[in-house]
Amino acid sequence: MTIVYAIVLAALAYYAWYDILGPNFTLAFRPLISGFFAGLIIGDVQMGLLIGGTLELMALGVYTYGGATIPEYSVGAILGTYFGKSQGFEVGLALAIPAALLLTQLDVLNRFLNFVFVHRADAYAEAGDSRGFDRMMVVFSHMIWGFTRAIPVFLAVAFGEPAVTAVTTFFNNNAWINQGISVVGGILPALGFAMLLKIMPIQKYPAFLLLGFVMYAYLKMPLVGIAIAAVAITLVFQQIKYRTAEG
Amino acid sequence: MTTETVERKLTRADLMRAFWRYVFLFQCGWNYERMQSVGYAYSILPILKKLHPDPEEFKEAFLTNLNFFNTNPVVGAPLIIGAHIALEEAGAALETTEGLKVGLMGPMAGVGDTLVWALYNSVIFSIGASMALGGSVLGPILVILLVFFPYLAVRYWQFTWAYQQGSNLVASLGGGLIARVTEFATMVGLVVVGGFAPSIVRMAIAWKPAITTTVQGQAATTTIDIQQQLDAILPFMLPVLITALAYWLLRRGWSPVAVLGVLFVIGFIGGAIGLLG
Repeated sequence: MTIVYAIVLAALAYYAWYDILGPNFTLAFRPLISGFFAGLIIGDVQMGLLIGGTLELMALGVYTYGGATIPEYSVGAILGTYFGKSQGFEVGLALAIPAALLLTQLDVLNRFLNFVFVHRADAYAEAGDSRGFDRMMVVFSHMIWGFTRAIPVFLAVAFGEPAVTAVTTFFNNNAWINQGISVVGGILPALGFAMLLKIMPIQKYPAFLLLGFVMYAYLKMPLVGIAIAAVAITLVFQQIKYRTAEG
Repeated sequence: MTTETVERKLTRADLMRAFWRYVFLFQCGWNYERMQSVGYAYSILPILKKLHPDPEEFKEAFLTNLNFFNTNPVVGAPLIIGAHIALEEAGAALETTEGLKVGLMGPMAGVGDTLVWALYNSVIFSIGASMALGGSVLGPILVILLVFFPYLAVRYWQFTWAYQQGSNLVASLGGGLIARVTEFATMVGLVVVGGFAPSIVRMAIAWKPAITTTVQGQAATTTIDIQQQLDAILPFMLPVLITALAYWLLRRGWSPVAVLGVLFVIGFIGGAIGLLG
């Protein structure tokens, strides 16, 4: 029976992330929802509501702004509900929180490893192969996301509490792995922006790039404000440039 | 004043196909390097294929739409895709559609994140969580209902509205104005990227060396906050430098994968030894 729970709860963890990536139908990556679903699966809805509701209040307003990594509350809620059923709410919650924090490392690794899709996509585009690209998207594009959540849930349920504690201790004792990966996560978008700048007329209009930087870095303007200012600056620029044409 | 309208080349089925592709897989394949790029390309691909019958043109459009893209997936992305389809249908150049995407993605990310996540979700989830803690299964069920229908409706509405507005906009422009619109879009895009890049790329010195000096026989230890010194010279200096390095390497003909390798090594070693954080 444990192995059945391990598989079904792992599938729930996979679905929870697929849902937020694509359809946003249930927002199952929120602990309130994944705790509720986990409760339905193991036949202890009350435990699911308690663990999910408690974690949800801790996580209110915490979202992956700009692709930032946040604690893995959905996995925390699933495991907390599962272990809470057999060992009580306190043990469940005490396990849910470190599990959620520990798995943030896998989230960073996941978002990094996904670079394979973008490079495969480049290759498909070069070959003009939209069919191959579609297949990659439909079949594979959510797999790293899903399995980085599903496998830990499967292992934790299958091997029980001692395994969870052992893994948590290992990563706490080897903090350098997490530090390295999290710095990589912050740096990599530089490549995306560099590629973007390469196709933009930056050498023709360098001043516009500098203006945006100054508004953000020194004036601390939010991006919406920068965009409005950008429209204003460009309007003025164009009015001057095309003045003769308009008479 | 002519009242000519843009010739419709796309059917409703084409539009809906793009919409559902967006709904089901938009953020799958999200990665640090180009974020939502593959999901964006996947959403718009049938449109590109239909509007660019020439294989070479299609290839170029496909590649261009794999560029960096990131915005709020619920409020933002459908609007940009809808407007993009309208411009694409009117035969706009790739620079115009890229300018549109780049100019809108940053601001829409800010608007969307605030509206959807910080406001709407916080309200419904705090109500749902309180009900759940009171032992009511209606808590999560209510939240699911308040997510399923409104999210779908708001995405559909943005997508169709932006498509309609985009077509009208293009229809009212004469041929000579297209160049001006392109220039406008790229310039706005450049300003926004100037602010968007430092807001996303994160790199800072975490190492704070302690220096012990002896002053008048007294040993005094001072910690030097290198990052603070750098900030005083130029805020976001390291994000700017690392982006410039990546840009420079790309311009020298390095492949993106090679640049990725360089960034990974710098980041991982820097982070592991505690120099960067």
